[in-house]
Amino acid sequence: MFPTQQTYETNIRLPFSFILFGTMAFFTSQAILLYSGSSIVHGAFRIPSVWAAVHLAVLGWGLMVAMGAMYQLVPVAFLTPIWSETLGFVQFFVTALGVLALSTSFAWKMDFVFFAGLFLTLGFVLFFLQMAMTLKKQPTKNILTLFVSTALICLFLTIALGVTLAFHFFSNVKVADHLLTLKTHLLFGLAGWFTLLIIGFSYKMVPMFSLAHGFSMTLARYVYIFYVGGLAVTFGSFLTNSSALFVSGMGLLLLGFALFSYHIVTILRKRVKKKLDRPFLFALLAIAIALCLHGTAFLFAIIGNTDSFGVIIYSYLFGWIILSIVGYLYKIVPFLWWTHRYSQKIGKENVPTLKQMMNEKWTVFSCVLFFTSFVGVITALAISSLPLFYFSQSGIVLFSLLFTGSIISVLLK
Amino acid sequence: MELKDMVLEQLRTVYDPELGINVVDLGLIYDLRIDDGLVSIVMTLTTPGCPLHDSIVGGVKRALANVEGVQDVDVQITWNPPWTPERMSEAALRQLGHI
Repeated sequence: MFPTQQTYETNIRLPFSFILFGTMAFFTSQAILLYSGSSIVHGAFRIPSVWAAVHLAVLGWGLMVAMGAMYQLVPVAFLTPIWSETLGFVQFFVTALGVLALSTSFAWKMDFVFFAGLFLTLGFVLFFLQMAMTLKKQPTKNILTLFVSTALICLFLTIALGVTLAFHFFSNVKVADHLLTLKTHLLFGLAGWFTLLIIGFSYKMVPMFSLAHGFSMTLARYVYIFYVGGLAVTFGSFLTNSSALFVSGMGLLLLGFALFSYHIVTILRKRVKKKLDRPFLFALLAIAIALCLHGTAFLFAIIGNTDSFGVIIYSYLFGWIILSIVGYLYKIVPFLWWTHRYSQKIGKENVPTLKQMMNEKWTVFSCVLFFTSFVGVITALAISSLPLFYFSQSGIVLFSLLFTGSIISVLLK
Repeated sequence: MELKDMVLEQLRTVYDPELGINVVDLGLIYDLRIDDGLVSIVMTLTTPGCPLHDSIVGGVKRALANVEGVQDVDVQITWNPPWTPERMSEAALRQLGHI
């Protein structure tokens, strides 16, 4: 047997720890939202149970899964191994405990949110250290590095603002305007961190999953300039309370995202793989949804309808961020397990393809269930229908169970 | 069968698990030389930073491990010239629905 090269593979336990924790957090968050149905339908979003559910969904699911995916994607996308796997496991335990402490504090002990937030911050600091040291080792920087680095800066700002908000609750002393801090926390967390990260990795994953070649990456620079410009101008509008600046910010974000969507279309036109895998189509559907939401936000900003932004933010979280993560995870999880289980057998015996690692019919069924339930929840919120909310939210809870089942089924292959 | 043909035949057992196409039909093998049992392969991957980098390179080495007459295998990965779909065989292009 000749020696084999093992350069960029991460210990599978690391990304899977994050992903499995994420699936459990997602189920719990959706069950809490179902329980809180009557308050949500009547527009009461800022209540303890919803705060707990939202932070479980955003941090426990979205952020933990994004972190786990980064532990797997960064080494392969940036051709540099993870700086320290041991630190990765320490970071996992600290962050997971922090998320649980924060979410339970939101539900039962508001005074403790600040301390839980501080503990969680330690997890983030360890993650920043890991990523900074890993990205520093990257031999050649590229536009992906810029997207991912900026996303990490936005995450850092989101955390700082989150801790500030928690301090307000803890001490009753306001170190900054509460509403300004909350709006910026949401802007940098959702549009800054998640969107820039998904855009950055989409530039790697879309050509890879469609086998696209010979496309130009020039547009990515303009996507970056307009989107980050949009974040800055929107933040400026929060600072100055200027509706004209807010419209400009939303316009720039729309322009940046529209360019990104167009760029993805041009990349897909250059694809060799004509029939795309279905889970990947759901990640592409998420891009279309986000484009519509950016357009809607821009229109609402023009007409001055800021009351509907709660529903837009909810739709953005579920229709763009969560659906993207789900779509990509259906590709990433089989790859991770395949690498662990079959990487050393390729060339020696017959091994399954990645597509054979997961039942595609089930993934389609669960993604359709998620999408229709998501549309149902949005409709229920728009028309304040409690029965429709319960019915649709139950669909999302069922989806979270099916999704966990799909992940476990891969681990049995 | 000549040793080079046997090596090529063995390489056809190494599949890209994402595409389900072997490395020869994908056009990943740029050069193959055999000198006194030492097989030197210059190959590429469909994209730099391919997550299957280690699996495929390892697979190539493992596939040739038991070929009679092969003493050692040296695999060099190159990105120059970059891989293009034009390097794929007709069968591979058809499998992907491209033609």
